[in-house]
Amino acid sequence: MFVSIVCVLLPRFELAVAAGDREELLREPAALAPEPGREARVGEASPAAEAFGIHAGIPLGEALARCPSLRLIPPDPAGVADRWERLLVRLESIGAAVEPERPGLVCFDARGLLRLHGGSLERLLDAARRALRQSARFGVGPSRFCAFAAASRARARRPEIVAGGEAEAAAYLATRSVALLRGRYETAALPESLERLGIGTLGELAALPRPAVADRFGAAGLLAHELAHGRDGKLAPRQPPERLAEELELPEALSGVQLDRALELLVDRLLARRERRGRTLRTVVLSAALVEGGTWRDHVPFREALADAQRMRLALAQRLRLLPAPAERLRLAVERFGPPASDQRSLLDEAGAVRRSRLREAVRQARAAAGPDAALRVLAVEAESRVPERRVVLTPFE
Amino acid sequence: MSRSVGRAHRLAQPRRARVEADPVDGRPLTVGERAVDAVRESWLVEDRWWNGSPIRRRYWEVVTTCGRDLEIFHDLRGGSWFVQR
Repeated sequence: MFVSIVCVLLPRFELAVAAGDREELLREPAALAPEPGREARVGEASPAAEAFGIHAGIPLGEALARCPSLRLIPPDPAGVADRWERLLVRLESIGAAVEPERPGLVCFDARGLLRLHGGSLERLLDAARRALRQSARFGVGPSRFCAFAAASRARARRPEIVAGGEAEAAAYLATRSVALLRGRYETAALPESLERLGIGTLGELAALPRPAVADRFGAAGLLAHELAHGRDGKLAPRQPPERLAEELELPEALSGVQLDRALELLVDRLLARRERRGRTLRTVVLSAALVEGGTWRDHVPFREALADAQRMRLALAQRLRLLPAPAERLRLAVERFGPPASDQRSLLDEAGAVRRSRLREAVRQARAAAGPDAALRVLAVEAESRVPERRVVLTPFE
Repeated sequence: MSRSVGRAHRLAQPRRARVEADPVDGRPLTVGERAVDAVRESWLVEDRWWNGSPIRRRYWEVVTTCGRDLEIFHDLRGGSWFVQR
């Protein structure tokens, strides 16, 4: 079976972006500081910090106890998102349908691209490397996880290729450390527990009986067990987004009411952009460069698609209150558009019969797209029962 | 629409949980990876004793160190722990 998944890994991507041109920081024990308002855990760590046993996700107190001289670098979520988007677009420019896992880790399917790039995997990888215009590690394997494991062992100009199918992937993974599971969001918490139990390699994990893994680790354990056997879910490539953003340089660091005014201006400018073509906005990203250094970024999905500047400002102003420091630059970008504004009618102003008929049509369409269980309602069957799971059931909407 | 309600469509189905309990009084000490910060309430449920599948559960409402309020129970017949909310 032909190897199909290519994994591109840019180690410590978020740390490198946050450090910017202060590259000397990466030679010292350094780690990303926790994001303001989030749990106090450090982000990616430099190699020198990793030598002290510090890795992304450990509590800040523990990291400082392990290495008192640890330098904390303010995170730059907005810079990371911008830079990462640019790299994804570059990969898409060679025809790759990419599935980004997290900033610094992306996979795409090589099948279908080979003939575009001279028929060989090496040429395809060369094309990807040239497109990226920066150092990256390439791993190729029959599954996403196997390709990721290969990429984490690859060198800058020497890709690691695992040929074959599921069995070859399992054999390749057998000697690799369970620490690789940290690369997947769903299984990131498992390596610590596995290592405590003396399970150091993915081969040892694969050899465990599946029911025992399910009992001890639940859904995350089952996924890790599947991954260790060389199996993984299919790639789900992203739809390349349409980019529309407005930015405002603030002459002096602003906060409070002045910042609300700046937001008002940004919303008006964004809605006035011709590229919007009358569409509503479903999800936007609000970001800011902070006066103290670092950036702040918040992803804001609206409850319903909006084209009304005032309602949009109301929703976004609440998020601006979360800014951890005065901002010197504010940016508002559209992440997803909704339907055109002319399609938006108020549900509450219409007559009951019309409303019910539209609701029935919506239910019908949702069921056609997602199956009979797409629209359900809650029905109390034994509301007074002392056993919680007997009280209510989900039943078809009508 | 006449569709029977299957078992899969019940809400608040118990999910198996990893719980370490005090061997003396059975009080939960950790749920999953989290230590229990406080026990808010505990109660016993005995139900369906009149048919072939009786239920005996010791419920605990606990708050973990991350601030989550959980309702868990110890199945006194099977010995396993479950989280329900």
